[in-house]
Amino acid sequence: MRRTAKNNKNAPLVPKAAAARRGLDKRYIAYVRDKVNQLLQVMGTSALRPEELDDGALLELDPIGIIAGSFEQILEHLRETNRSLSIARDELQAIFDATGVGISIIDEDFRILKSNEKLRRLLAADGAGDITGRFCYEVYCGKEGPGLDCPAVDTLATGRSVIVREVSKKGKHFQIATTPFKDGEGNIIGVIEVLMDISDLKTAKDAEREQRGFYLAEKSKLAAVIESLSEGLFVTDASDRIVSFNRAARKMTGYSESEVQGLRFQEFIAGLGGPSCAVIEERDFKSGELSITSKDGRHRIISVSSVLLRDGDARHGEKVFTFRDITEEKHLQESYCRTEKLAALGQLSAGVAHELNTPLGSILGYARLLTKGKNLSPDQRERLDIIAEQAKRGSAIITGLLNFARRSDPALREMALIDINDVIGGVVRMLTTEAEKRNITVLMEFGGIPPLMADRRQMEQVIINMLLNAIQSVRKNGQVSVRTSSAGDSVKIMIADNGPGIPPDIRPRIFDPFFTTKPVGEGTGLGLSICAGIVSEHNGSIDVDGESGKGAVFTVTLPVNHS
Amino acid sequence: MPTPELIELNILGQVCPSCLMVALNEMNTHREGLRNGKVEILVRTDHRDATRTIPDSARAMGYEVDVRKTASYYEIRVHCAK
Repeated sequence: MRRTAKNNKNAPLVPKAAAARRGLDKRYIAYVRDKVNQLLQVMGTSALRPEELDDGALLELDPIGIIAGSFEQILEHLRETNRSLSIARDELQAIFDATGVGISIIDEDFRILKSNEKLRRLLAADGAGDITGRFCYEVYCGKEGPGLDCPAVDTLATGRSVIVREVSKKGKHFQIATTPFKDGEGNIIGVIEVLMDISDLKTAKDAEREQRGFYLAEKSKLAAVIESLSEGLFVTDASDRIVSFNRAARKMTGYSESEVQGLRFQEFIAGLGGPSCAVIEERDFKSGELSITSKDGRHRIISVSSVLLRDGDARHGEKVFTFRDITEEKHLQESYCRTEKLAALGQLSAGVAHELNTPLGSILGYARLLTKGKNLSPDQRERLDIIAEQAKRGSAIITGLLNFARRSDPALREMALIDINDVIGGVVRMLTTEAEKRNITVLMEFGGIPPLMADRRQMEQVIINMLLNAIQSVRKNGQVSVRTSSAGDSVKIMIADNGPGIPPDIRPRIFDPFFTTKPVGEGTGLGLSICAGIVSEHNGSIDVDGESGKGAVFTVTLPVNHS
Repeated sequence: MPTPELIELNILGQVCPSCLMVALNEMNTHREGLRNGKVEILVRTDHRDATRTIPDSARAMGYEVDVRKTASYYEIRVHCAK
C-alpha cells in the first residue's frame, strides 16, 4: 500500500502560534534555532542552515519536539542494542567457560586479560586464584619471561596464527594455537591462545605405535620362522589361490614365488604331475601323500597336510598346506623292508640249502656213475643226462641260496679301501666275451672318485650281477654303459642299458628274491636281491629308473666312509 | 511476511523546512510501523545534503537506509533492520 504524506508548507497557522510569532523576541527564536542545531549535532548529524528552517517554520514545526521524538527512538534503539549485547555476552561467556579447550586472551605485554575455567584447571597451579592481570609465562610456564619458542611471541611479532602440535607442560601434552587479537582498526592488541589437552590422545598413539612395533616384530619373527622351516608351507586364500609359500616349498618344487602366486593350489599340484584337480578337491587334502615332479625333473614323494585358518565351511576358508619331502624316507622304508625280507630269507635259505645239498649230491653222483655204463640204450643215456643236468641246476640254485645266506654274515666280510673303478674294469674284462658274443657294446666312463671302504669280492658280485642283468636284458645288438661319479661323501655307479626297460608295475618287485622276468631255466631270480642286500649292508642304496621301452638305469650309491 | 506500507515523501525542490526535519517528523509519526516492519518511508529529494543527514539520523535510531540516485533526484528508503 502506498500513501503520500502531507507536506503543505502554506497551510494556515494555528492562531495562537501566529500571535506568538508576532510577539516573540528575535532572541528567543535565535535561542531555539541554536538549541535545535546543538541537538542535531548531538544526534550525529549536521546543523541546519537558516534557509533550511526559517523563523516561521521554526516555531510552527516544533523542531525541538521532533528531535526529542528522534532521541526517544535513538534511546530505545540503544536499549535494545544493549539488551542484545548483554544476551550475546552471556552466551559467549557460557561458551567460553563450557568449551572443552582452554582459552586465554593476553595483551601485548603477555598479561592475561581473560581466561576460561578449562585453561585455569589445565595450567594454573591449584590455589592460584584470579590469574587475570598476571603474566602468562609466569602462570602457565613458571618462567620469568616469554620463551623464544612461545607461539604467542611469534604471533605478536608476525601477526600470523601459529599452531604448535605438541608441547609438554606440567606433565601433560597440549596442542596450542595462537591467533592475533585485533582492534577495530586492525592493529594487533593481543593474542588469543587456544590450548587442547592431547595427553590421552598421545598416550593412545604411543600405545598404538608400541603395539604396532610389537606386531611388526612378531610378524617379522614369524616370517623368519616360516622361511626357516624345513617343511614347505603354502597359504591359500578363500578361492584356493596361492598367496604365499616359503623357501622350503620353493626348493621342493623348484618354482619361485612370482611364478606360483595367484595360481589355484589344485592346478599347481596337477601341473607338478600330482593328482588332478578333481581328485584333490574330492579328497580335500586334510592329509595324504602325493607324487610330484619338481621343475628340475626330480621325482619326489610328498606328505601333505592342510589346516583351515578360520571357522566356516572348509571349502571357502583360507588354508595352510604343509609339505614334507618323504622321498628319502620311502626309499629307506623300502630298503629296510627289503633287508628284513632278505634277512629272513637268508636264514631260511641257509637251513634249506644245507639239507638239500646232500641228496642232490647223491643224485648227481649216481647219475654220472650210471652214464659210464656200457649197456645203456640211447633213451636211457639221454634220461640220465637230463637227471644230471637238473641235479646240477638244483645245485646251482642251492649255491646261489648259500651265497645269499652267507653274504649276510658280517664275520665273513673283508673290508678294505678299494678303487671301485678298478673293480668295474676287472668285471667288464671278465664279461667281454659274453658281450661280444651278443654284439653288445660296453662303455665305461670313470669319474674321479675316492676309494671306498668295502668288501671287494662282494662289490665284484654286485657289478657282475648288474652287468649280467643289463646284458641279458639287451639280449643282442645293443649297448650297456657304466659310469662312476663322486657325489659329496658318496660314490655313484650308474649302469644303463638300452633294453626293453622295466614296466612301472613290476619295478617295486625287481629286488625281491626269486622274482624274475626271464623264461624258466634262465636265472634264479636272486641276482638283484643279492645286490640289494650287499649294497644295503654297505649302508648304500640301489635305485632303478627309466621308462618302459627305453632301457633301464640302475644307480648304486655307496658312502665313502663305511661305518 | 506481508508487503510493508510505503509512505512516500516528495520534497523535491523544497528547502524549508529542511528535508531532515520533515523526514524526522515522519519517522516519529510512523515509528511503531517502522519498528515492526509494517511501514517503510521513501523520501524523494534533490537536496544532496539530505542523502547524508537523513541516513545518519535514521541509522542512529536503529533503522536501515538505502539511497538511490536517479537522473534528477535522490530516493532515500528508510526501513526496519532485518
